[in-house]
Amino acid sequence: MSDLQKKRLAQLGQQLQQDQLAVVRRQAEGWRNGLAGLTGLVSVVLVLKGKDSVTGMPEAWRWVCAALLAIAFGLLLFGALRSVQAANGEIGAGTWLNAEQLFGAVLDEVERTQRALATARRCTAAGLCLIVAGVFLGWVVPDTSAAGTGTAGAPSVLVTSAGGTVCGQLVLADAHGVVVREPAGKGRPAATEVTVPAGSVREVVPVASC
Amino acid sequence: MAEHRLTHFREVQTDPATNPAATVERSPDGRWYTVSGACPTCHGRTVSRVAHGVLGPGKGLWGARPSPPPLTGVLTVYCMCGFPHPARPDSSPDTGCGAFWDVPVPDPGGAQP
Repeated sequence: MSDLQKKRLAQLGQQLQQDQLAVVRRQAEGWRNGLAGLTGLVSVVLVLKGKDSVTGMPEAWRWVCAALLAIAFGLLLFGALRSVQAANGEIGAGTWLNAEQLFGAVLDEVERTQRALATARRCTAAGLCLIVAGVFLGWVVPDTSAAGTGTAGAPSVLVTSAGGTVCGQLVLADAHGVVVREPAGKGRPAATEVTVPAGSVREVVPVASC
Repeated sequence: MAEHRLTHFREVQTDPATNPAATVERSPDGRWYTVSGACPTCHGRTVSRVAHGVLGPGKGLWGARPSPPPLTGVLTVYCMCGFPHPARPDSSPDTGCGAFWDVPVPDPGGAQP
């Protein structure tokens, strides 16, 4: 009795050997397009962004953000190049195109393509995670240019009084006087609140920074 | 080697007892086997290569290629003599008389059966 299915499977095996490079190339093209789409998705998500600058962040966090984005860019670039390489490849480079060597070259190329695809997937995923981490840091790290003293968004003012001038963020202004929070620096280890009595205030001028 | 016979195309599994000897050689890098021998039905010479599947990246360090394990059991080969056997359907992917048979794979460390 003939087991025809066995022959069909043997034929399928031969067919797969012939077609596997084309199949893998098609897969690579799909992955290349998919990974490019995923990378583009980040820009869509960033439409909902908060801060778009790191200038107000503390210096350490600014460097962390810059490093994250630089590494992410490198990973995405490398991943994109690997996915393009997987989709195109260079079969037969540096080998004689006779039957035996070409048979091995096809197997090599399939392996190379699979390896390039795996690298592209890992790099793209890691790059996207780093970008999201960088953006997330931008959202959650407080802005020291405005929020270093805990009165986020309060305007800076220059108060001129009989005793001199005081510059800082405006905390309170009422019938008793003007309370200003002077930032750290100039001999002050931390931000301090200074109260200028109402009677001695001559002028209160808003300033961009102290 | 016997003369080729232009038999009618028939997809039939040949009797193992009458199969002529075939050689099974593994490639130097171990990635494929080459089976060569005469077709038991039409006596045409058939050479068939069976590769280890590579649909997946290497798992080793830097994706290095692991050597595939040796094949055991039998390899099913079919006639690919290339002669235009009569009654072969135009749609058939066959390039021989239609016969197929099993060739035992020798032990990796043993002698050829």
